Formats: sequence, C-alpha cells, structure tokens
Amino acid sequence: MIETIAVARMLREAVTTPYLNLVTRPTGVAVRGRIESVLARSEWETAMLDFSDVVLLDLSCADEVVAKLVRMAKERLGRIVALRGLDEHLWESIHAVLEHQHLAVAVLADGTITLLGSVPADVHRLFDRLESSNPLPAAALSQRLGWADDRTTEALDAAVSLGVCRSTAGGYMRVPLA
Amino acid sequence: MSRIIDVPAQFDEQGFDQLAQSVGAWPPSDRLFFDARGVQWAAPYALIGLLTAAQAIIEAGGEKPLLAVPAADDVRSYWGRIAFFQHAGELFEFHGKLPRARGAQPADTLLEITPVRATEDVHQVVGRIQEGASRILAGELGLEAKATMGFAMALSEACQNIVEHAGTGGWVAVQAYNYRRRLGRRVAVIAVSDSGIGFRRSLEPTQAKRYGDRWRDGTALEAALIQGVSRFRDPGRGQGLAGIKRYLQRWQGKISVRSGTARIAIVPAWDDDVPLVEDLSFFPGAQLQVTIPAQDAGTT
Repeated sequence: MIETIAVARMLREAVTTPYLNLVTRPTGVAVRGRIESVLARSEWETAMLDFSDVVLLDLSCADEVVAKLVRMAKERLGRIVALRGLDEHLWESIHAVLEHQHLAVAVLADGTITLLGSVPADVHRLFDRLESSNPLPAAALSQRLGWADDRTTEALDAAVSLGVCRSTAGGYMRVPLA
Repeated sequence: MSRIIDVPAQFDEQGFDQLAQSVGAWPPSDRLFFDARGVQWAAPYALIGLLTAAQAIIEAGGEKPLLAVPAADDVRSYWGRIAFFQHAGELFEFHGKLPRARGAQPADTLLEITPVRATEDVHQVVGRIQEGASRILAGELGLEAKATMGFAMALSEACQNIVEHAGTGGWVAVQAYNYRRRLGRRVAVIAVSDSGIGFRRSLEPTQAKRYGDRWRDGTALEAALIQGVSRFRDPGRGQGLAGIKRYLQRWQGKISVRSGTARIAIVPAWDDDVPLVEDLSFFPGAQLQVTIPAQDAGTT
C-alpha cells in the first residue's frame, strides 16, 4: 500500500514556530522520527512524502528527511520512498543531496512521474518507456529503445539499484505510485 | 591598566583584520579598550566581529573590555539601530554617549544583529528574513524571485555552522547596502561570527592525519570550503557550505571565511580579493561573509 505523509504536518508537530520552513539538522531528525513512527504502524510498500505547504527546505533537512529515508527504504527490499508537492526550490535542494550520495527518488508532479537525484541518462530514457502496471521483459525494452541487450541490462540494473524500477516475474515495471 | 585598540575608520573586512592584528596574542593579557570614536563606516561583518572579540575575551576569563563609542552621530545611530549596543551592553563597558533609543531598524537591514545559540534561533532568523529578502533581492538587487529561497537556505546553513561546530554562541546580521568602495553596486550581505573552536580544531580529529605537517588553519578551511569535508563520517554531511557555493556561483556572489590565522574566499570576477590568506593575526572562532551583488547596474 501507499502511505501518504504530509511533511508540513509532521513539521508543525515537531517544531513550535509559525513558519513552515524545514531547516536545521535537528529539525530534520525530529521530522524523520515522526515519519518513521507513522511508517512503523503501517503496512507500507511506498512512502509518499507530500511536501505541499513546505516553504523552505535547506540541505541539512533534505539530507535528514529525504536522503536518509530513501536509504532506509533501499535497505528494506521492495519498499520505496517517493515525493510529491515539490516546488522548484525544494526540487533543487533534494536533487543536490541525492546526487551527492548517489541516490534517486521518483517524484509525482502533475500526473507524471519523473526521477530526481543521481540518475544516469540511460535510466531516465529507460524509465520513460517503462509502465506502472504492465511488466515488460528486458528484450521488449531493448526493442522499444533500440538498444543492445547489454545496454538495457545495465540500465535496468541501475534503475533497480536506485529503487525506481522493479523486477517481477513478467519483467520490469516502474515503482507503483498510484 | 588597559591597552587601547583603535577601531579602523573604515570598519569592514579589511578593517576587522587590522583590529585583530592590533589585539595581537590571544587571549590578550591586559584589559582592552576598543576606541571606535573615529569610525566613519562599519559593515555588519566587522560589528559582529567586535562583539565576538569581547565574547571570546570574557569566555577566556578576561576582564570585560572597554568601548569608546563612535563620535559621529550617524555612525553611532546606525550601530544603535542595527542592535549593536543592545547586545554589546553585556560584553563591553561603554565610554561615550549612547544613542537615546534604538529607533527603527534601518530600511535596508534584513536582520539586525541577532544571537544564534540554538536550533530555535536559526528557525527565527530564517523565518524573519524571508519577506524582506524577497523585497530586497528581487526588488532592489534585480535577482529572480527564486533567489530568495536560496538566500534563506544559505543563511540557514551558515547559522547552523555555529550551532553544530562552534561549541558556543555566535551572531548573525543581514543587510543590503551600497558597496561603492570595491564594487560600485548594491549588495546583500550575510555576516556570521562565533567565538568557538574554529575550523581547524573542529576538523582536526578526522582530518589532521591526512595532512600531516601541512595541517593548519588554511588547510582546514580549504578542506571544508573547497573539498566539502566534514568532521562527521555520515555521507550526507559537509553539504552546507557546498550548497552556499552553488548558490553564489549562480548569482556571482562571494563567500569568505576567516578562522584562526587564515581566510579563504571564493572570489567572483568583480572582486580582486585573494583566494587564501594565511599568517593573519589569530582571531578566535570563525567569521563568514556572503555577498550577493545587484545583477544589473541599472537596478542600483
């Protein structure tokens, strides 16, 4: 199941300021702790962090909240963290910390899914051809992309490793976000 | 017996270095008398540096220093409106006439001198400057509206360095002013200072071995600002200064950090500062200045 978490609400619960600024590392630790508590009570497969209403996100908090949760999900096979409600500024902060740590995350925006962070160009291209509900075998993807099988395999391995694509009995598919 | 330290007439970054040189060995063995009567102009960076000097002397067990306040009415009034005297009251024994009341904050001051001791202070500082930052950065300096968020992020990361690394409290001030002397344009400046352990001691446990004999204030500053080294082993650490650097590259900004006996700077094309100065007179803690210039001379 998808567990959607309103990050602004977690921030309001964690810090008593009138501002919705997700800043400072201790604040990030407190917000992440609240998110982890919610997830601990849930049968989640996808944690959808909704950043709507968050005004400012500094790099320390982007690391504590997003990067550390993405890393945690990667360590628990089959689980992913995804994001939504990002404006341009939040997008930049998160991209910077994920890229620095060779992590990536799927972002839902205006009904489409894009990848953010340390994402090789081939993984971007591959991801655009993958589907969310219909697994595709590697050979079919090679055909769609016009790539040699080795190149497709390499990109699939990278996408699976980044946690933005899943391998199923029928082939490969995007991580489910809806 | 006290020793007189002249506060330079142009009390900016270079003026602050002159002040540190006049103080000499640290901590000073005699009581210091800072004579600011001749000051004609002061930057927030230098003012919070002066507060830091007094704070460090008191923290080292020294006698509360004396301060002769500026003679010029407009200078004294500015020091009052930016809240210098409000905080200096605990740190100095004043000589001379103080402005009667603090009065209104200067219109171009985004944040008057504010102490930073804990995470909550950083929240307050960042929250308070956001509205004014948009007015000044977009309205007066000609930066795109999105620059405001990056500015607040840079401020947050700069202040967090005090909370996380200094081991004591510090000060921050944010102001826009005409920087005619070096640039001839308006600038927005973030100034942060603390009297803490400094970059070299903060990084020493994890980095000194790597550098061996070359380990000193300058190499510690290079490790932190250029290489993004942190004293923590967590891979997510050390990104704060890197984030400030990215922001400054986009807006042709400058960052300079002084710690101990060295100062490092990322120098944009409009400035002729040197990237690294070593063998300065020692000054405790760390002093950071971020300068964002107006993007178009027509907007100044």
